[in-house]
Amino acid sequence: MTTPTWGEPSGPLTSAEFRAATQAIMANIEQVIEGKSATVRLALAVLIAEGHLLIEDVPGVGKTKLAKALARSIDCSVRRIQFTPDLLPSDVTGVSVYNQETRDFEFKPGAVFANLVVGDEINRASPKTQSALLECMEERQVTVDGTTYELQAPFMVVATQNPIEMEGTYPLPEAQRDRFTARIAMGYPDPRAELAMLSGHGDHDPLNDLRAVADAALVRRLIETARAVHAADAVQQYAIALVTATREAPEIRLGASPRSTLQLLRTAKAVAALEGRDYVLPDDLQALAVPVLAHRIIPTADAQLNRRTTDAIVSEIVHRLPLPHARNPYDTRDGRASYESRGR
Amino acid sequence: MTGRRRLGLVAAAATLLAAAPLSSIFKDWTWLMQCLLTVLLIQGAAVATRTFRFPTWAQTASMVAAFVLSLTWLFPSGGEFFIPQPDTFGHWMDLIHQAGEDTRSYGVPVPDRDGLLFVTVLGVGVVAIAVDLLTAVFRRPALAGLPMLAIYSIPVAIYLDSVPPVPFMIGAVGYLWLLVADNVDRVRRFGRRFTGDGRDVDVWEPSPLAAAGRRIGLVGVLAAVLLPLAVPTVSGGLLSRITQSGPGIGNGPGTGNGGRINLFASLSGQLNHSQTVKLLQVTTDEPEPFYLRFGVAEVLTENGFAHDTPKGDSLSKGLPDPRQVAATSAARYAQYHAQVQVTDRLQQNMAPLYSYPVGVGDLNGNWAYDPSQQVLFSGRATTKEQKYDVTYLRPTFNAAALRQSDSLDPGDPLMAFTARPPDATVEQKVAALIAGKDNDYDKVRAIYDFFSQENGFKYSLSVPSTGKASEIAEFLNNKAGYCQQYAAAMAWMVRAADIPARVVFGFTRGKPIGNGTYEITNRNAHAWTEVYFQGFGWVPFDATPSASVTGSARSAWAPDVDRPAPAASTSTGPGATGVDSSAGPGAAERPNRAEIEGNQTGAAGPIADETSWTGLWIAGGVALIIALLLVPALRRILVRRRRHAATVPAPAPAVLSAEGGEGITDITVTSETGRARADAHAAWDELIDSMIDYQVPVDPTETPRITAQRLIRESSLTGDPAEAATLLGTAEERARYARLPLQGAELAVALSRVRSGMAEAAPTGTRLRATLLPPSVLLSWRLGVAEWSTRAAERMSSLGESLSRFNPRRLLNRAR
Repeated sequence: MTTPTWGEPSGPLTSAEFRAATQAIMANIEQVIEGKSATVRLALAVLIAEGHLLIEDVPGVGKTKLAKALARSIDCSVRRIQFTPDLLPSDVTGVSVYNQETRDFEFKPGAVFANLVVGDEINRASPKTQSALLECMEERQVTVDGTTYELQAPFMVVATQNPIEMEGTYPLPEAQRDRFTARIAMGYPDPRAELAMLSGHGDHDPLNDLRAVADAALVRRLIETARAVHAADAVQQYAIALVTATREAPEIRLGASPRSTLQLLRTAKAVAALEGRDYVLPDDLQALAVPVLAHRIIPTADAQLNRRTTDAIVSEIVHRLPLPHARNPYDTRDGRASYESRGR
Repeated sequence: MTGRRRLGLVAAAATLLAAAPLSSIFKDWTWLMQCLLTVLLIQGAAVATRTFRFPTWAQTASMVAAFVLSLTWLFPSGGEFFIPQPDTFGHWMDLIHQAGEDTRSYGVPVPDRDGLLFVTVLGVGVVAIAVDLLTAVFRRPALAGLPMLAIYSIPVAIYLDSVPPVPFMIGAVGYLWLLVADNVDRVRRFGRRFTGDGRDVDVWEPSPLAAAGRRIGLVGVLAAVLLPLAVPTVSGGLLSRITQSGPGIGNGPGTGNGGRINLFASLSGQLNHSQTVKLLQVTTDEPEPFYLRFGVAEVLTENGFAHDTPKGDSLSKGLPDPRQVAATSAARYAQYHAQVQVTDRLQQNMAPLYSYPVGVGDLNGNWAYDPSQQVLFSGRATTKEQKYDVTYLRPTFNAAALRQSDSLDPGDPLMAFTARPPDATVEQKVAALIAGKDNDYDKVRAIYDFFSQENGFKYSLSVPSTGKASEIAEFLNNKAGYCQQYAAAMAWMVRAADIPARVVFGFTRGKPIGNGTYEITNRNAHAWTEVYFQGFGWVPFDATPSASVTGSARSAWAPDVDRPAPAASTSTGPGATGVDSSAGPGAAERPNRAEIEGNQTGAAGPIADETSWTGLWIAGGVALIIALLLVPALRRILVRRRRHAATVPAPAPAVLSAEGGEGITDITVTSETGRARADAHAAWDELIDSMIDYQVPVDPTETPRITAQRLIRESSLTGDPAEAATLLGTAEERARYARLPLQGAELAVALSRVRSGMAEAAPTGTRLRATLLPPSVLLSWRLGVAEWSTRAAERMSSLGESLSRFNPRRLLNRAR
């Protein structure tokens, strides 16, 4: 993690300021994406948690639109990469070009040099190109020809992809997936939202009407505010327990990484802040477990054969794992009592 | 089907083995031969029908037919050829009656009597059919243990003391054999066992999977053997005390008897015994002791006098003092002390005592005392080889005082002792005898004096007697009989005069062997009459000619009718020593009492309530059970009160001093938040317990917020309770996870609102249970026990591991 070195006046926002700022952003995005406030909120939470977002769904449900709306709502540098099978790593990171005048190599920054990078259809590029994002996403820097270039803060990659079963896609490598804080699915809109969409999009694209309601500085302050959210010991232990459970679950070949623990808690803090709380609840972790953890784990061959999705496995873990220091060690769910936890 | 046939054979063998305890009842082995034949025939029929795959009803019918045939051959009435005739069944009924009479007249071991043998074969045959059906047809061999146990219960019921263990073991082996055979058959139906190493496995080879079963079996047997030893009150505690009010005494079901001891039969048995056997020895400081008594026959029906089961409280409760009871306080009492030493030849469950015992000591076993009959009895213990002390009161009466005694009024409960069957001869005779007598004593004396040699009565042991009413009436005609006829006849006649009377059994004084010690043999067995006089209680009258009774004694109020009256007040020393006539017509007298004025009045105390103790015990037991049942509810209330006390917000702590500044404020805040956290936790714990109480599932994976939401949904809470539940959830959530807990919330109020909301939503049964038997308390106890036992098991296994380090087998393995 790089510590941001911000020049402009900063400092945590008050609760009211935070709420006003985030409400504005969300309302702005929802002008474009109808009836998906939970998804929008999660996308915003990932932004505030300094994470990267992977939007995965079938074509045509508004993945790119969400990414673009988020980008438009924030007045900061936005770059868009259309991942195609012939895209090269240098197109992403940048390339050193020989300058005839200065007789020297000159670095031409790639698409990642922006606050918000929208990577469309990321799994249509070859794994070689996908891997170009590895360094920048985690370390927020780009190294080309031995020279390291710092990226701006905030830095967020919003990538969209089709499910890997779709034709013409390359699955993202584990390391790449692990760098995305959350994977969200758009899902089909409900009929009411779809009707609103029809009337709203009839004559023009509302995306064009979007105006920025925040800037990079504000986002940085949002991030700083969210960092200050209190996570009690019990909550931290619960986060660890959740991640550990994915590593120990018999259906999972590769569990979630320690990085995911960090990102889980950070996203939970952002969600708590979005809800106007200054403390994290286990409820936040439970709600985030599937988006944050499910795309990182690899189920065993057996589980795959049984058509067990990673989402289902993770949500089952959530429903099985008792809260740490639960004051009610009893479990009377199925009529018989048992000790789920000894730590009373 | 071969499995069924084999099982049937095992069932037959097991039945025979289970019949082994009967060997202690019979002298000979004829019963076994007959049972063997019957069971074999029954099983043969079963095997034959199973071979031809007859339906179940046909198998049963064939077994019953074989059974009836074998009974016909073994117990024919004489008229039938091969198959039973109507006469046969009549004959069998006679045999059953005969068996009933035999059980009254014979003691164990019994000789081969046709009736007893018939009943035995009948019983064993029925058991054989039942065991076969249960085992081979219904495949429930465990239930077959019940009929087998029925056989075993017969000797248990007859031998009051102890039963030989070997026959029981044989029976138990038979039962186990049956179980094992059935199980092996069950396992076999799965096919051959497979070990994986190609080895052929024998059917009887124990499976490694059966190790747990063997262990459980061993523990079960150990528990069954050790538990009764550890709980000494199993046979002597509350249970037996309660059952003593019922027909707890007696010789058990035997082979069909009503369950009563026939004292008449045992008396005639004692007197008719070919040899003289010493039964007991008594040492007393009373100079001229009267008879020892042990039993009373007070029910007079067509069948004569019968013994009524004594009822009363345990000996440990103490004995009533006749001086304190109005009904008996008019007599004059003197206190004496005696020691009774019983030999191994007297084995009965009623202990010989002098009348009016006030203290009995050193008696082994669980004995109870019937204050009305003055009988000390026991359900299971016997007098065999007992040695005990008796402190007793000897009442003395005199004729003058007894004459003053008023007749009982007709409504008195004691008038039950005047019940008698109608008999014109007796009524006429009595009416003639008591004509002109104006008080009870004179009437009784008139009847008593009637049994004199002058009137033609003579003592004869050769008169057979079963104590029937007709025989008593006959005795009044042929005037020959022995003590039981005299006693019964006099009692009946006194009853005919509407005066309560009963027959008492016991022993006469016995042969003095010095130092106040008397040796009592079977020849001293005796029966006499007791007549009730108001204010004096039961007064003994012995109508039997004293010359004919060994150790007979007479008293001032009942002098020897065969002696001249003036001699009645002179003493001729202790009783005669034999049946010979050397003692002369005058047997022992009791002159010391003759002249003593008996009008001393004791304090008329309240009449002791015989059943009050049993009632108290039952009431106490019920109260105890209720109290025990209420313990969880009480515990729940206490816990709730504690938590409510914790949730009530305390006044804000005052700032201690101004000089502390920053530091003090911090401390104050800390303690306040800590308190608020504790409050929220207490409220939450209480909410969770309430949820358990009202059967709302509790899920440890749920956060407080979700739990509260689900509670609202599932208990369909609305309005205030729903808000209260949300408040409790929020408080707990903040107490757990937030920097600052929720403060100043009315958690106690919220709690009671949620509880009342849940109570409204819950069905009546759940609500009752939540109040009376809160599941939360039971659950926490159960889990506590479970956790404790788990920890104990872990400790045991770690101990076992450390012990196995010293296992010599390890050394052997190493050496190899």
